[in-house]
Amino acid sequence: MAIIRVDHVDKSFPTRHGSISIMQDITFEVKDADFLAIVGPSGCGKSTLLRLIQGLDRPTAGSIAFRDQRVDGVAKGMAMVFQNFALFPWLTVSENVAFGLEALGWEPERIASHVERYVNVTGLEGFEEAYPREISGGMRQRVGLARALAVEPAVLLMDEPFSALDALTAEGLREEVLQLWRDPNLPPEAVVLVTHNIEEAIQLADRVVVLSRRPGHVLAEVPVALPRPRDRKSAPFYDLTDRVYSLITEGGAPTAPPLGGGASSAG
Amino acid sequence: MATTYPKCSPTEMLGLLVLLNDHKGAEDVALLADDLDLEIDEIFPALEYAELLQFVKVTDGRATFTDLGRKLVAASIRERKTFVREQLKKTPLFRTILRALDANPEHRLTEEEFGHIISFTTAKADGAEQNIVNWGRYADLFRYDADTHMICPARRSTYAKGGGGRSPPSSALAGGAAPPKEPAGSGEAPRGPGNATATA
Repeated sequence: MAIIRVDHVDKSFPTRHGSISIMQDITFEVKDADFLAIVGPSGCGKSTLLRLIQGLDRPTAGSIAFRDQRVDGVAKGMAMVFQNFALFPWLTVSENVAFGLEALGWEPERIASHVERYVNVTGLEGFEEAYPREISGGMRQRVGLARALAVEPAVLLMDEPFSALDALTAEGLREEVLQLWRDPNLPPEAVVLVTHNIEEAIQLADRVVVLSRRPGHVLAEVPVALPRPRDRKSAPFYDLTDRVYSLITEGGAPTAPPLGGGASSAG
Repeated sequence: MATTYPKCSPTEMLGLLVLLNDHKGAEDVALLADDLDLEIDEIFPALEYAELLQFVKVTDGRATFTDLGRKLVAASIRERKTFVREQLKKTPLFRTILRALDANPEHRLTEEEFGHIISFTTAKADGAEQNIVNWGRYADLFRYDADTHMICPARRSTYAKGGGGRSPPSSALAGGAAPPKEPAGSGEAPRGPGNATATA
């Protein structure tokens, strides 16, 4: 059963020199309990796609449905985690987590109990009164995670959530995101992860949607049937990584001129 | 024990333990680093502190889980804090901080006092205080109030274990969006008898 259905989606942006097509004819589904990764080279529209899914922007053509309802405006039931955390520096950890709930107009008591719960499950207990500037990148991204989970979304959208972190911190947080996703008592049901890191996609996801260079289209949907935790040095892991690399480098021949319009030596 | 204070963040050390777990709990240190395309010295601070806290053993360039380390990675995000807390309490640095916090009649330390205590137990580098504060926060051993610049005892005792319906005394939240937050005042009331961080 699909939670999200992306159906023949095109997206283009108007410019002074005509419109630029960002993605073309994107179709895929996010199923119940899915951990789906979207990979592709930079500029293929991965992040735009997440924005379309959440309803922050509209497709130029095609449609997106969340639980069989067409997404039109910001969809409830989804929450986003950002690469650069997007925290308010003048709010404490707790207040940052509470912020979105206040915006939803929740009762103070309900906000407090949700804040406590999601501060705790993300390992932030003890940091409630800290300000973002005082804490490490890993802790900041936990705040981003806690804030997203606090609305108890069915689908967690993650836009390069580990790319701004050092490698060890990222490794730790990836495992924690898996832990949260697998806990039946906690949201979300499904995760959609956008990343340029192919190994990361294969380490985490059940399926990997591979996008081409701009304008992005779906090159393949690669199932990852390896047991977790996944051994990055194993042959099957390596084979999958290799396959996705090949898809992107070979299958994604550019069909659009470079953005800057500069001279291209590639001919 | 080459170091007495953490030179990595808690999440970094946890990341190292997760990485070691990916390698079935025992691996050459160079290969561990290589797995994340890092140089050995980049995983050294995390490795060193994981060893100090007795989660890993390093012998002949090979890192291996201790029983404790193995238990930690098998635990939930929240339970992991307990392991870290119990081990931190055994280190001279954190033991000293907790003792000072307990001995001080007002049960709090100024930044200056805190820096002084740290310099007793360690040759500190820039940023050491902030990092030590964050380990203390992570393990819920003490709090730091950025508005009053005070180290205060943890409020751990006031939280319901299961995170159930009980709401914390975080009046800062309940007040809604407009008022920023109340200073230390709310921290005093709920403390139970004795000291929230004291011996279990």
